[in-house]
This record gives sequence, structure tokens and C-alpha cells, in this order.
Amino acid sequence: MPNNENEEVLLRVEHLCQYFKINKAVDDVSFDIKKGEVFGLVGESGCGKTTTGRSIIKLYNITSGNIYFKGKRIAAGTLSYKNNIEAAKEQFETDKELIKKSPKSEAEKKEELTKKKEELNKYIASQRAEIKAARADHKRQKFNTEIQMIFQDPIASLDPRMTVGQIIAEGLIIRGEKDKKKIEERVYEVLEMVGLVREHAGRYPHEFSGGQRQRIGVARAIIMNPELIIADEPVSALDVSIQAQVINLLDDLRHKMGLTVLFIAHDLSVVKYFSDRIGVMYFGKLVELATSDELFAHPLHPYTRSLLSAIPMPDPDYEKQRKRITYVPLRDHDYTKEQPTLREVAPGHFVHCNQEEFDRYQQELAR
Amino acid sequence: MEKILSVNNLVISFRTPAGKVQAVRDISFDLNKGETLAIVGESGSGKSVTSKAILGILAGNSIVESGSIVYDGMDLLRISEDQFYHVRGDKIAMIFQDPLSSLNPIMRIGKQLTEAMLLKGKARQKSCRKEFNDTLALLSDAMVEAEATNESAKAAELRQMCKNFDKFEFKHIELEHEYSVAYEAALEVHDEIKDVLFYIEKNAFDDEKYTIKEIIRLVDDSINDWVVSGEDAVTLKQLIADLKKVASAGIQKKEYTEIARILKSMDVILAAALDKPEPDFFSMGYYVTFAGKPLPDMGVEELNAYLRDYADENFINRFRECAAGALKYNAEKYNALKKEALKVVEAHKSVFEADKLDKKACLDAAEVMTKAIDASIDRLEIHKDSIAYTFGSTIKILIHSYFEGIGKNVVASKKHAKQSAKYEKLVAKGKQPSWKVAPSTAVDLDLVQQNIVDLIERLTNHYEEVLAGADKRSYENETNELIKFFKNNASGVVMKVTKSMAKYKALKLMEEVGIPDVRKRYRQYPFEFSGGMRQRIVIAIALAADPDILICDEPTTALDVTIQAQILELINKIKKDRNLSIIFITHDLGVVANMADRIAVMYAGKIVETGTCEDVFYSPAHPYTWALLSAMPDVDTNEKLEAIPGTPPNMIYPPVGDAFAERNKYALQIDFEMQPPMFKISDTHYAATWLLHPDAPKIELPKIITERIARMKSKGGAVNAE
Repeated sequence: MPNNENEEVLLRVEHLCQYFKINKAVDDVSFDIKKGEVFGLVGESGCGKTTTGRSIIKLYNITSGNIYFKGKRIAAGTLSYKNNIEAAKEQFETDKELIKKSPKSEAEKKEELTKKKEELNKYIASQRAEIKAARADHKRQKFNTEIQMIFQDPIASLDPRMTVGQIIAEGLIIRGEKDKKKIEERVYEVLEMVGLVREHAGRYPHEFSGGQRQRIGVARAIIMNPELIIADEPVSALDVSIQAQVINLLDDLRHKMGLTVLFIAHDLSVVKYFSDRIGVMYFGKLVELATSDELFAHPLHPYTRSLLSAIPMPDPDYEKQRKRITYVPLRDHDYTKEQPTLREVAPGHFVHCNQEEFDRYQQELAR
Repeated sequence: MEKILSVNNLVISFRTPAGKVQAVRDISFDLNKGETLAIVGESGSGKSVTSKAILGILAGNSIVESGSIVYDGMDLLRISEDQFYHVRGDKIAMIFQDPLSSLNPIMRIGKQLTEAMLLKGKARQKSCRKEFNDTLALLSDAMVEAEATNESAKAAELRQMCKNFDKFEFKHIELEHEYSVAYEAALEVHDEIKDVLFYIEKNAFDDEKYTIKEIIRLVDDSINDWVVSGEDAVTLKQLIADLKKVASAGIQKKEYTEIARILKSMDVILAAALDKPEPDFFSMGYYVTFAGKPLPDMGVEELNAYLRDYADENFINRFRECAAGALKYNAEKYNALKKEALKVVEAHKSVFEADKLDKKACLDAAEVMTKAIDASIDRLEIHKDSIAYTFGSTIKILIHSYFEGIGKNVVASKKHAKQSAKYEKLVAKGKQPSWKVAPSTAVDLDLVQQNIVDLIERLTNHYEEVLAGADKRSYENETNELIKFFKNNASGVVMKVTKSMAKYKALKLMEEVGIPDVRKRYRQYPFEFSGGMRQRIVIAIALAADPDILICDEPTTALDVTIQAQILELINKIKKDRNLSIIFITHDLGVVANMADRIAVMYAGKIVETGTCEDVFYSPAHPYTWALLSAMPDVDTNEKLEAIPGTPPNMIYPPVGDAFAERNKYALQIDFEMQPPMFKISDTHYAATWLLHPDAPKIELPKIITERIARMKSKGGAVNAE
């Protein structure tokens, strides 16, 4: 499934941070999504995967970091620049104390001080310019129809007082499409694409079953001809048999329309089945990132291992012998000496680790 | 295997504005003691409705059309709300899907855990007292009869014996209860002191005030005649006073040497106390009540022997002998009556096998049978004979539903004729009406009749089994069980549920379900818990009343993979520890593999396949099970998933034939015309599909499943080899 020839990066997330007051929901997450691939994001509830998705589509104003879509910056946070300014100011204060204490003459001291001050001002000005640019970029790309989202709960995400046709057409109308005939035709077209029929346009969401509602959600997303779809747990509220229908639908559409998908889910078997590359998140951090085959064959981070060991299998004999690995961060890592960062252990396989673990992981892979 | 719950021919429908939705259509299953039965199916297949019927919490618009749910000598579909009060939660508990919506957001966790215990405490006391008295009365009657004496003196003696038993049994429980409270306290404080000393040594002692207070309370509790007594008790009291004095100053100055010294000397006494053997309270209860002199002064083991001899000689041996005799007498008496009843049933059975039932004959026959069977129930048996107890009410209802059904069918066929005429007219005009014609029969009379015959057959088989096993019964064991039964009920009466006791029990439960820091958590609100922790609390609440059966309705669907695995492990552990029977409802077959002993696959209100876990996963027989298995990706799946096309049928107009036929690519012509019966594949494995009929074409399992099974087998082998 992975098409490696096409290396064009569609979405780049750099050092994304999303803080809610003191709660660091997403903390320094970076990844690329290439054109045409399915990027899976897994992790337990509350680890920040949904927040990442929503930050990309700008449902939140991100705290810090940059998001580039087709090379253009579509969202940017300012906290890092502000922090830089604070840090520089503090540095300046300490420098000042040092200069004052130094045994140089008064004139020399003054000269040095003014030099430092100038440097500081220049630096602050540059950072402020960055902030300004970030805000401008953030504002300019207010509506981006090329990224669309499919939500988890097909009941809650559809307005019960609008007909299916209205729900699907709403995006087009907001974009300024006035030709009723054209809208209608387009609605019928996408309805048929997702496996519903024209007649359904006049009905209300409550008349549909769960799987059909999720199809309506998909139809609403693809009517804008998006390049990237963010699917936030699109199947976890559905029954197993309906799940397969929706996954097959997404797979078909993806090949037909050349879609790129950011697939967020907690069901690892589904993610493995559907994704080309997978990122594993734990408490706001991206702890491991690899192609899906590589991740399942050689999980390196202890959290990934514990996740994989928890997958239920339809096999009684296997289940009876299954040993679940638990992940205890304090036991599994020793970060007193060196803080961990995201490092590339093997080509395309990133793990959140420090140097010592990095060496160990490489040895493990070599074996 | 002991059957604990059995569901027979259950039919449930819901009244809705659009028509009658047939949610459950004639399902039967048994639940054995200590086993997990998984019910698997899509939403709308009727699995939750079944579980709600067991718990008596069906929605208001539901109609239970027929069937019975038999548990502990009661038919749960027919008993009054007052009776259900003692079953729901106490005997059968439920865990719901969404832990947040099954907890009260504005009550602290502790209160929610203890609420039911406190509410039910009094009722439990009353019911235990009643049970105790009733059984004892039956026993004394049986004893008198068994000895077959006309002398009133001997009868009076026997009755006095039972009264004496009543008296000292309660004394015994009181003594034992006091002892166990003190012993538990000593055990807990022993551990606590060890921890505290460790922390003091490592300079990491915090939350001192609370800990010290707790230790003082526990040490105080542990003073009891049989745990810490005499001089030790005096010393301990002195130490407590010292500790109180030293503690506040020591904590302020952060100096713990004095505290550590006192704790150490406390621990020495407690450790010695914990090593002491447990006195025999049963004999002691008798001695204290009837000997009329103080306990002799000797060591515990010596004392035990002395007391046991005294009690055995004066009372117990005789009592046991009489009780065993009474049980034997009773069993023989009722077995004879059972034989009688069998004869009566055999004689009247033919009435129900006729082509057309006669109302009066049926009712008369049912009455005669019920009378004979009621007379043949041995009420002294602790394990109630559920089938016999509920026979009368069940057969009556079945007969009524048959004769009401005749009338209903007349109305339905008229309606059908009218509607179909209209339908044909419209079709002739070239229109396609959106509504469907209602079926011509409302009640399947043959099925009801079959159910009656089945019921009678079930009873006769059961009675024959009992009679055949009569020689193998050990009345000594039964006497022991009976005495244990008395003990349990007596302890239910003696142990008043106070707030502090409920709290103690709640904390224990929270520890059991794996919640850390219980004392802090006890005071928190549900929103302060994560999803997995909330589900643990819900499980703890369900376990609070020590139920026999636990119904888990999709307990992990709202949780993510790691937490799901933890909760499943927890449920498995609890099942083993408490010998619980579990009904596990889910739509995810992957979850079931680890949990279930047996699996029932439900579709459109019917059980389509049932078998052991291995049967269903390694040799599935019904196309719906195939479809479920192949629709589910696992980590090795690469090919396109085989989704099940379409949606489940509209249950207002259930299809005539196999309900799955429309979505089934293996469907035969007959699947659209006739409902398949349950075909037997092996002793444990049944499936309802025409494909199993000898005349059916042979169809291979879908490739995706055979491949997966092969892969699993090879993988399983690899695991085994390791």
C-alpha cells in the first residue's frame, strides 16, 4: 500500500504545542504527512491525538509551533517566541550583573552594556516580527476547504433539524456557491459516491442507521474536494460489521480521489489495517513513529510495546497465553541524566528517547 | 455443572407507534456456576434486552410475551417487585456500558459505594432472620417425623434441641464477628507500622497526623479477648496513651525517634497476637450459652479441644445425627412423592400433545400436575429446585397465551386479508407501496404448544435424574451444608451494617478492583476519575452485595485498548476469586476470546449459533458468525475486509425465513421461506442454518477465515513451543 515514490510532503507539523491553561494537551509534536498516504495516530484517551487533529484544522488557536500545508504556513503559535524574548531579557539581566561586578573601568562597562542592550533590542525586534508574521499567517488562512474532518460520533455531529442535503451542501454554500442546480447535482454526486442514493437527500439524520450516518459525515467532508481528510475515530462508535463498511468506503474514496488521510483511532488493528505510517502518542508527546509494518514488527518504545500487547485477538488459545506488558514511565526510563528527544533510530523509524536508549534501540534493531 | 440461571423460550417485543418491534424471538440458554457466557451480536440484535429482562428493568413499552427466566426457585419474569428487591443487585448485578452515566456526578464515590449497603442492610437482616427461622422450623418438623415418635416427650426434646441451636448459633456468630474485626485490625496495623517505620528510616514520612490517628484507631480495635488480652492489652493501652502524647510534639519538630520506639513495641505485641491460633467459636458459643460456668483457663489449642469435646458430647453429635436423619427421611418421602408426580404427569401429558388443544382439559390437567409437583418439592433442600418451583406458573401462562393466541390470530388474519387486497390493488396500478403487509398470524400456536411439551419434558427429565441420583446422596455433607447455611444467615442477622463498617467494606472493595490510594479516592467525585478508574468503581459497586451473577453490558466499549485489557483482566480475576457466573454482552468478538467459556451469537432476536469459545472461533458454522469474523481486521490482515452488506432487518416485520438470508451470500432458497432449526454439530456446538442440513450443498468456509485460523494455529503453536 505505501507509495514511496511520491515523496511530496502535504502537511508538515513542527513543534506543535497546544496548552489549555496548565494542561499540556499536545507538547512538541512534529511529523510530516506525505501526499496520498494514510497517517495513523494512536494512543490512549486523553493523550492528545484528537487535539492534534483539531489544531491542524484550526479549531483551536495553537499555542506554539508551525503547521505547513502544501508548503504554506496555515497555523502558527507565538508562545515559543514570547518565551525567547523572556529568556533573552533574563540573560541580559544576568549579563548586566556580571558586567557590573567585573573589574573593568566605568567607561568600558558602559560601552559593553550599551552593546548588550542593542543586541537585546535587535533580538526582541526580530522575535516580535516573527510573532507578527505568525499571527498574519494564522489569520490569512482562515477558511481552508482543502482540509476536512470526519467526526467520531455520527449522531452528535449532524444537525438533527437539517435535512441530509442541507447538511452536505452547507460547506458549498458557505464558500459562496449560489447556483442551486449546481449544488444539488454535487450533493447527489457525493451521496452516490458514499453509497447512498439521491432520495436520501430529503431525509433527516435520525432516519438513518449508525453506519449510514457516518457515510453522511464522509459525504459532507468530500463535497469540498479536499486534499486532506482528518478522520477522528470515524469507526469507534460503530458495530464491527458496519465498521468494515465504513473502512472499505474510506479506502475506496482514498484511491478514487487521491486523498490523504490523517486517521486518528485507538483500535490498533483497524489502524494497522488502514494506515501506511503510524505515530504513537503518549501524554501529549509523540513517542514513536514508523511505517505500520515496521512498528508492529519492531516496536521499540516501551509504551508502544504495552499498547501492542493489549490488542485483543479473535483467538482463544492465543488469548489464554497472552501476557500484557504494562508501561510505567518511571520504571522504564531513566531521564535524570539526559532529557529525551525524538530521534531517528532507523530510516523512517523515530523514537522518543535519549542517547543511552538510542544506542540500545539500535542494537536491538541490528539483532 | 450446576445450573444457576436458565432462560427458556423468551419472547419480548416493544410497543412503538410504528408497530410491534419483536426484539427477542424465542431464545433459550443456561448459565452454569462459575462460567462466562458471552452474548455477541450487532446493536439491535436483542442482547441488551435479554440482559435487562433478567434484571427486571425492561422499558415501559415492553411486552414479555412468553418464556421464563428461572433463578433460585423463582421465575424472574413473574415475581413481584418486592421479591425482586432481594434479587436485583443482591444476587444479580450489572455493569453498564458507559461508566460516567452510571455514576451520580454530584455524589462522592464513597457515598455511592456504601449507599446500597446501608439501604439494603436492614432488609437483609430481616430476610436472613426469616430464612433462618423458616428453615429451622422445617428441620425440626422433619426431625420429629423422622424419629416417628408418638411420645410427646421425645418430640418436645427434639424441638427444644432446635431452639437451643438457634440460641447458641447467634452467640457463636457474635463472638466470631468480634474476633474477626479485631484480628483484621491487628493485621492491618501490623502492615501499616511496618510501612511507617520504613518511611521514618528513609526520612520520607508524610501525612503523619492522619497515619498516626489511623494507627491509634486500629490498635484500639484490635483489643479483644482472643487477639490481644490480659497484660498485653494493658500495655497496648498504655502505649496508645504514650503515642498520643508524643505524636503531636514529634510531628511538629519532625522528630520521629520516640514515635518509632513506641510503634516498634506495639508491633511486637501485635505480631505475637497474630500468631495465636483461632479459637473454635462454634463450640465456644455452645459452652458460653449452656454450660453455666466460666471458660476454663488454658491455652487456646487445649481450650479448643476441651470445648469441642464438651459441645460434641452434649449436643452437636446428637444434633448432626438427627439432622442427617431428618434430611434422609425428607428426601425419601419426597422422592416417593416425586415418583407419584411423575406418574401424574405421564398420565396427563397426552392432553397437550393433541392436534388441537381443549381449554378446559388443559387447565384441569395443568392444575393436577401442578398440585402433584408442588407436593413433591423438598423445601428443606438448600439448592432450590428451580424447575419444579416455577412449573405451575409457567405452564399456566403458556396455556393462556395459547388460547388468547387463537383469538389474536383471527383478528390478524382478517387484517392481513384486507391489507393484502389493498396492496395488490396498488401494485396492479403500478405503484410501489412503502408499507408492508402485516403477517397473517400473530401468535405461532405450534411454537407455544411445543414450548408446553418441552416444559413438561424438561421437568420429567429433571425428576428422573434426581431419582436416579438418590442413592449417591451423602446426607452427612448435606448436613454440613445445612449448618453452613444457618451460619451464613445468622451472620447476616448479627452483622449490622453501620456506616463505619460499610466504609471499611467499601475500601476493601476498592482495593480489590485495583484502585490505588483508596482513602483519598473514597472522598472524591466521579469527574476526578479517569475512564478506566470509573469503570473499576462501577465494578466495585456491583460487587458490593456479593452477587452470584454479574451481567456485563459492553463494559469496555467506551474504553481504549490498554484500559480495556486491564478491565477484562480484572473481571476475569474477580470471576475466579468469587466463583461468579458472568453474562458478557458485546459486539466485539476480539474481546470475547479472552473472556468467554461459551458464546451465543445473536442476530435479529434469535440465537443463531452457540458453542464453546473454541467451537465458535475455530469452526464457526453460521454464515453470520463467518461474516462477523471476516469483518474484523486483525494486525495481520492485508486483503480487503469483507463487510456485511446492508443493515439488520426491520423487526416490526421480521422476515419469514432466516433473518440473515438477505445479507447472506451463501443463502439457499429455503432460507427465505422457512426458519432453520438448531442443528447439532457436537455436544456443545449448535447452529441454526440450513447449510447444516444433510441435503444442503457443501460450502467451504470463507478464505479470510480459514487463513486466519491457520495463522492463529501456527502462531498458537509457536507460543506453545516457547
